Amino acid sequence: MMVTREAALSLRGIRKEFPGVVAVDGVDLDLYPGEIHALVGENGAGKSTLSAIAFGELQPDAGEIVARGTVGLVHQHFELIGRLRVWQNVLLGREPRRGWKIDQAAARARVLEIAASNGLEIDPDAFVETLPIGVQQRVELLRELDRDPAVLLLDEPTAALAPAEIERFFTTIVALAARGTAIMIVTHKLQEVIAYADRVTVMRHGKIVARALTRETSIEAIARAMVGGEVPAVVERVETRLVPSLRVEGLQAGSGGTRLNGFALDVRGGEIVGIAGVEGNGQTTLADALAGMCTYTGTIERRGTLGIIPQDRHLEALVMNWSLIDNTLLGRQHRKAARRGFTLDFARAQRDAETIRERFDVRAATLNVTVRTLSGGNQQKLVVGRALIDDPDLVLAYNPTRGIDVGAAALVQSRLMEARNRGAGVLLISFELDEILALADRVIVMYRGAALGSFDRAHLDRAEIGRLMAGSL
Amino acid sequence: MKRLTRFLTGPLGAVLLIVVLMSLAMVVAGVSPLDGFSALITGALGGRNEIGETLVATTALLFPALGICLAFRAGLFNIGAEGQLLIGALCAGALGAAFTIPGPLGIVLLLLAGALGGGFWGAIAGWMKARFDANEIIATLMLNFVAAYFALELVSGPLKGPLAAGAETAWLDPKYWLPTLLPGTRLSIALLLALALAIFLQWVLTRTVFGYDLRASGEAPEAARRSGINIARLTWLALTLSGAIAGLGGATIVLGELHRFNTQLSPGYGFTAIAVALVGDLQPLWICLAAFGFGILESGGLAMQASAQVPKDAIHVIEGLIIFVLAARRYVATRVEGGPV
Repeated sequence: MMVTREAALSLRGIRKEFPGVVAVDGVDLDLYPGEIHALVGENGAGKSTLSAIAFGELQPDAGEIVARGTVGLVHQHFELIGRLRVWQNVLLGREPRRGWKIDQAAARARVLEIAASNGLEIDPDAFVETLPIGVQQRVELLRELDRDPAVLLLDEPTAALAPAEIERFFTTIVALAARGTAIMIVTHKLQEVIAYADRVTVMRHGKIVARALTRETSIEAIARAMVGGEVPAVVERVETRLVPSLRVEGLQAGSGGTRLNGFALDVRGGEIVGIAGVEGNGQTTLADALAGMCTYTGTIERRGTLGIIPQDRHLEALVMNWSLIDNTLLGRQHRKAARRGFTLDFARAQRDAETIRERFDVRAATLNVTVRTLSGGNQQKLVVGRALIDDPDLVLAYNPTRGIDVGAAALVQSRLMEARNRGAGVLLISFELDEILALADRVIVMYRGAALGSFDRAHLDRAEIGRLMAGSL
Repeated sequence: MKRLTRFLTGPLGAVLLIVVLMSLAMVVAGVSPLDGFSALITGALGGRNEIGETLVATTALLFPALGICLAFRAGLFNIGAEGQLLIGALCAGALGAAFTIPGPLGIVLLLLAGALGGGFWGAIAGWMKARFDANEIIATLMLNFVAAYFALELVSGPLKGPLAAGAETAWLDPKYWLPTLLPGTRLSIALLLALALAIFLQWVLTRTVFGYDLRASGEAPEAARRSGINIARLTWLALTLSGAIAGLGGATIVLGELHRFNTQLSPGYGFTAIAVALVGDLQPLWICLAAFGFGILESGGLAMQASAQVPKDAIHVIEGLIIFVLAARRYVATRVEGGPV
């Protein structure tokens, strides 16, 4: 629906510079009441900076912002207080009062009223930390809706949602737009852009490089604009001879909703096994058990060497203040080959780092700069390169392309495919269903700590997998 | 403006700021800064005896600072060096007064006893941290008091020297005394031992697998754990070694300087050493330089009090200011350069 009223939010000539980089470079953008506007671009294109400026969290260096009404922002990583109740989170700082006390009855009623008028179901007395991700997002949304925003910004709103939850989420958003709110969605899921947005704006290197009506464009055209050229293709799959590599049986580990109760899995050398599932269904427990990072009972049998790509590169995989060379040794420092006499063989580490830089296209000024100075994509390529450099027999990859740009993701996926093609077994745990469908030879759906179904590449059924991910059999 | 802040946040600017702040402190104390500084410098470096005393203080600060460096690099805030040093000194002093072992072997054994004592004291905190996840700051801090009163109790009673007036052990046999390094002063070869230890630690931290594991645990504990490092083992090992180095320092004070154990033997070396380690950027070789700087303040401060009437406590104000300037410098530098603070 296109509307030709006055813009609810208009940005003119916005510029924002951070030391060494122009994050947003002369951007004009108008958001109109009643439209759903998608803002897309690779990581580092300036989307997040622009939405922080639109929200008023950041001051632009130059430019003009005119907003007609309040601007709300739903963060990608929710800013909720887990130990407080839903109504306390929704009304934080704006609680209705009676004398010097909070009027709890009025607060509950108010939360229920906003929820009902937006078609959202919520229990105002539930503690936020006990709620599933999808419902937590509803709380975050309600908090913004309570301020009756003229403009609502949504940062990667569906990143942690199951397909069914995503549909439900957009039902709410579309209804909200129909009642006149201007909505901007920052996302990298182009199918959602085409399916739900009215207009799309593409950013690259801080500038707007394309604007289109979604009914007049395509996923391919948007992707080309994002990358600034053709999207690189992933290496082809070849015939391999399957050999036993990993056998998991009766695995019990973890606790609560992510507990594994008798999980079984086989990975053979020469295949990629994809674990599909929504975040928080036991994937982390499984990855930790396989990496030997938590206690478990049951059988884990593995042949040969193991290369691990942990899910959180900042926290689990890299020492941010160390150089590329020092980080190349991490996780490999206890091997005999890493030492020479009493000392670590830093000359060898430097050669390894150089190899990784070349093979994985890690862009760094020198091998001695700290990895903190690298972009997320280059950090991830270093982590992946380190896991693959010793040609392991089994690769454990947990969200290996999360939060990195299209080019870097294609490279990582190609290297994983090459590992498979040379005969390594690859266990790919990913929250991106598309990544799993593109790479896996076999897909296992994980829900509440159990394997709900297994699909061969020849019999992949996206709809069926999506249903299983949401827990319906 | 930017150039000015850049200069002020550089090393030269830091020295300039420190001198300005020290002058201010002296003015507040009612002394002309010129007199104050000249008293400080002549008091610390004005002659053989002064230099000797400055290096004695340098040595006494260097051992605990190196121990603290090791723990801090592992991400463990050991602020119990004072207690570890005291226990090390007590072990060396008590054993030295009680037994006679012939030859230089005796010296080696007594130094070892000091290291073991301090190491044990550090290990208690390490065990509490590794086993019960007890906060090491609290554990090491509290163990300082346990050490102080434990030592006082022993040397007031069972270990008190027969001729001693205060709380101290009997004097050690002169054959246990560490050889003098600078004739005519109290400076012993403990200084060389400390410098050798600093070089060794620099090598361990930067080149060996143990040093790599230790730094990884300090910088990024979760990534370290996932790289196959046994964090619990490393925790108690780091705190034990940290305490052992401080304890060794305590033993060298007994063997090299006082020749007996006395509960007053440390005027807070273990605490000042925290500043020394931090000013030395937690790099053993830089810590040597920082220890020398603080040694000048420690021994020159006494002279300043005597000749320029600056209260000795002003030195502690100055030490505090130095830490403040260096901390501010790091903060301002990150603000100017950008990037995560």
